[in-house]
Order: sequence, then structure tokens, then C-alpha cells
Amino acid sequence: MIESALRRCLRGTAMVGLFFGWMLASPFAHAGDASSGADVFKSECSECHSPKQGKNKKGPSLFGIVGRPAGTAPDYNYSDALKQARWTWTTDKLHWYLSQQAKKANPGTKMKYDGLDDSKQLDDLVTYLDTLH
Amino acid sequence: MSTFLHNRAPSRPGKQLWWYGLAALPLFACTTAQAVPAYARQTGSACADCHAGSYGPGLTPYGMRFKMNGYTDTDGKGTKIPAAVQINGTRTVPATGKSSNLLSSADIYLAGRVSDQVGGFVKVSINNNGQDKFNTQLSDVDLRFVAKDLKLGGKEALVGVSVNNDPGFNDPINALPASMQNGPPTVSGSLLNPSSSNTLAHRVIGASVYALYDKNWYGELGTYNSLPTSMQYDLGYSLGGDPGKLSNTVYGRFAYMKELKRPHQFFSAGLVGLTTDRQLPRSGPSEHLTDLGYDVTYQFLGNRENIIQFAYVNIMERRRYATTPAGSLPGLFALPRGVVHDQTAQLTYVFKQTYGVIIAHMVSTGTHDIVRYVPYGQPETNSNSFTVFWTPFGKDDSFTSIANLRLAAEWFRFNKFNGSSTNIFGVPANGTGTNARDFNAFLLFASVAF
Repeated sequence: MIESALRRCLRGTAMVGLFFGWMLASPFAHAGDASSGADVFKSECSECHSPKQGKNKKGPSLFGIVGRPAGTAPDYNYSDALKQARWTWTTDKLHWYLSQQAKKANPGTKMKYDGLDDSKQLDDLVTYLDTLH
Repeated sequence: MSTFLHNRAPSRPGKQLWWYGLAALPLFACTTAQAVPAYARQTGSACADCHAGSYGPGLTPYGMRFKMNGYTDTDGKGTKIPAAVQINGTRTVPATGKSSNLLSSADIYLAGRVSDQVGGFVKVSINNNGQDKFNTQLSDVDLRFVAKDLKLGGKEALVGVSVNNDPGFNDPINALPASMQNGPPTVSGSLLNPSSSNTLAHRVIGASVYALYDKNWYGELGTYNSLPTSMQYDLGYSLGGDPGKLSNTVYGRFAYMKELKRPHQFFSAGLVGLTTDRQLPRSGPSEHLTDLGYDVTYQFLGNRENIIQFAYVNIMERRRYATTPAGSLPGLFALPRGVVHDQTAQLTYVFKQTYGVIIAHMVSTGTHDIVRYVPYGQPETNSNSFTVFWTPFGKDDSFTSIANLRLAAEWFRFNKFNGSSTNIFGVPANGTGTNARDFNAFLLFASVAF
């Protein structure tokens, strides 16, 4: 009797653990607020990047950034480092890239950014970037 | 720098002397707009990225970096035409006298990058003298060479050279009178105040070496010499405003600046110095002048919906005069030494980078000297301005991001002039004396830049 109760308890703990593990690993882990992300974009990114399609500033347009292979925005003169970065900008990749200094994430890049260490703001920002289609 | 007061300052009673104060007309730079859409075209940035109010001269931290980078940043899409035009109209409604409407000036800017290391800013102004006669002047010049992306002790560094014609104009921070074009109206002002008589602005040429270390520490050291009077004349300036012959001139600037994120803010604290030996007139004896000043600034930018900018600068000038002229009474002589102070405090609020309010308080004071400063021996000038403006364009989401219109209304108010609020020229009391408030004015400005 005690043994079966212990087994049920362990099973329950495992289920809860699995649930939280799934929550953390799933895309919902980065779910943020796009309207707050627009504000983060304005204060962190907008001087160098435009959300408008085809409008490059000091940095390339971020319209359609999620799903775009790195270094492929039209009419933008990328650094060799980013041209050779063989990745696609997924939300996870953006989360990783923007959480640290750009020059650490992609040595040789022209981008000067110290990284966003506030995880809530980073989630909001990436969620906003995902709306730019 | 020509203002409406040039046209209406009364002639002074009594002895007309050529040196400080007494020969000076009350000058002020009335919220001079400065816009260079050529930079917007070059960088792909909007005016609002570099200017809180989407129109110059006040810079955001991003605009300061652009300036320190020698105006060379680019969107990488080839060469752009490095030229822009600004047209200014002014309606002046003085407290006394006739109102006027003027097409006040047209400015041509040659501004932009030559290469990744070389860039510049040259402004040619065509100014209306009030009678619809136009005078062309070489205004601000700032040519730069810059070495970027250096490493010094593992930290980012930048080193540049600026060749310019106005000490302080090339400063990146929104504080020094030359860079903000808001020096206090004055009869005794310092060398670093472009509103002073015989100002150095645009009549000198100099070079300085500057460096930015670890994004926060800014230092600059330079020297200037005055242009020959014939060249000043050729560049559109009257000989009466010659700053004199300068020697042993050293300009120094040091500042700590810090940009904070989340929310986006900026503050700075700086020191500035300028020392020179000056002969004015050029064949006369030499006087020694030393300016020392400090400034603090703060900006709250946040998400740029509500921007607040504050700047305060206090410049002290120590003078060892070349002569001690006699006064109007026997045995009365001017002091051999003196000190003047120029102070400006300015608070700006901007909503959506479109609607703004600027409040400025300006004070110029100096050592009491009954011979140099007639009629009361006090050079104090105390004034305020209150400005509202509207800049509908120049943002990423506006009709155009690379051109702009600025409409502004300004109330300019004098509390004291020549150390007094009433009868400022000391005319015998018969009810006709000029009061400081007689210089008050309401002004409307319209500027368009493209």
C-alpha cells in the first residue's frame, strides 16, 4: 500500500517535471508581448534598423527577419563575417544572438551591440520581430 | 550670426569705446535651426535618430556618435550627393517698434563622407540684412579625419582630427554655446560664447585632436588662429567684428559621458578651457584671456515617445586687460583685470519627436567696472526664452524621413541689460529711457530642409 502510494507520488512528480520541462523547451518559453517588444525595438534597435521592408539604415531592414538566412537582406552591404554565418534567423537564434555582444556572437561583424540582458525584454523584442512580415 | 536685435538696438549715449561691452550690440542666437538631410540620405537614418526634436542642432547619443565618427557612417549603398538646403523665414514682433516678416536666410550645406575616415560639415548662409539685401557668409565648418574601431588596453577607442572655425562647435555634447547656438545675450561675454562681440565664431581657423575611450571618456586638445581681416571680409564678415590677432591659443575639452539602457538615458559632465593672448585692435597691446567652464547634461529618451533633455553650462573668463583707460571723472580708471561668467540652462521636452517645448535661462555677468561698462558699471544681462515647435516629418513612419519642416514660436524676454531692468542706457530720467523689456520679442520661425 505504501509502495503504491510512493509510486503514484513519484509518477506525479515526474509528470509535473515533464510538464515544466516541455514548457521551458517549447516555443512558448520565448513568448513575449509584441507591443512591449515594439517599445524595446524603438529604444534598442531603431537607430540602426528599420522595421520597414527594403529600408536599410546603418544596419539592414529587419522586415521578415525571422526565417531569413543570415546576411541576405537585399541591397545591404554585410560584413564578411555575417555573409559567412551559415544560419537562419529563427526566434531561438535571435534570442541567442541578441542576448550577448554582437561581436562575440559573430566575430568580425560590423554590428555594435552590447546585448540585451533583460530576459523579459528580450522575449518581447523577439516576439515583435516575429511580427514583421 | 545676425538677429533682429541688430536692426533695432539703439545707439548708446555717452562715450563710445571699442572694447568690451560698450561697442557690443545685444546679440542672441534665437533658437537657430540646423538641419542636414544629406546625412539622413547618407545613413538611411531618419532625422529623428540623431535629433530628439527631429531637427537640429540638439543631438541624441546616436547623433553624438555620428558626429564623433566624423560624419562618415553610411548605409553602404554607394555615394550620395553630400548637399542639403535649408530655408528659413521669420516673423518678428518686438515689444517696441515695427513687426517684420523676412525670408531670413537660406543655408547650403556641403556635408557628408568622403571616405570611411574623412567627412565634414560646411555651411554657407545667405542672410537677409533686413532690407531684403542678402549677404553670403561662410558659416560653420567642421572637417574631420577619424580612425575608428581602435583597441586601447582591450577597450574600444576612436581618435580624430577636426579642422573647424568656431571653438566648441565641433563638440559632440549638447551643452557648449557654440554647438547649441544658444550663448546668452551679453555685453561682456566670454570667448566661448558666440553671442559675444568680436566673437571667434567663423572668423578663426583651428584644429584639434580628439579621442573617445571606452565609449565614455572624451578628450580634445587644439589650437586656433584668427583669419586675416581681408579673408574675413571675403567670407562675408564685416571688419568691425574682427576678433583681433590671437597667439598662444589653446583649446581643451574633457568629458565623461554615459549612455544607459532600459530605460534609455544619457548623462555627461565636462570641462572646457580656452586661453589666448589677443591684440584688439591688431596693432595694439596684448590682453590675456582664459576661459574655464563646466557643463552637465541629461537626456531621458526611453522609447522616444517622451524625451526630456537638460543642459547647463557655466563658463568663467579671466581677463588681464591690455589697457586701463581713463573714465569720465578725473582719477577714475578701468580695472586691470576682470572676470565674466556666461551661463545657460536649457530644458527641452519632446512628444513623439514631433511636438516640443524649450525653456532656456541665460545669464551673463562680470566684475563691476564703472569705466568699461557704462552706465552702471555692471555688464549683467539676464534673459529667458520659451519656445514651442512642431516638426511633422523626419521620422521613420512619417511622410518623409529625410526632409523636414519646423514651425516654431518663441517668446524672448530680457529681465536685465547693462545690469539694470530700467533705463538700461542711463539716459537722464525724462520718461524716454530704454528698459530691458523693450528688447522682448515674439518670433515665429518656419524652416524647411531637404
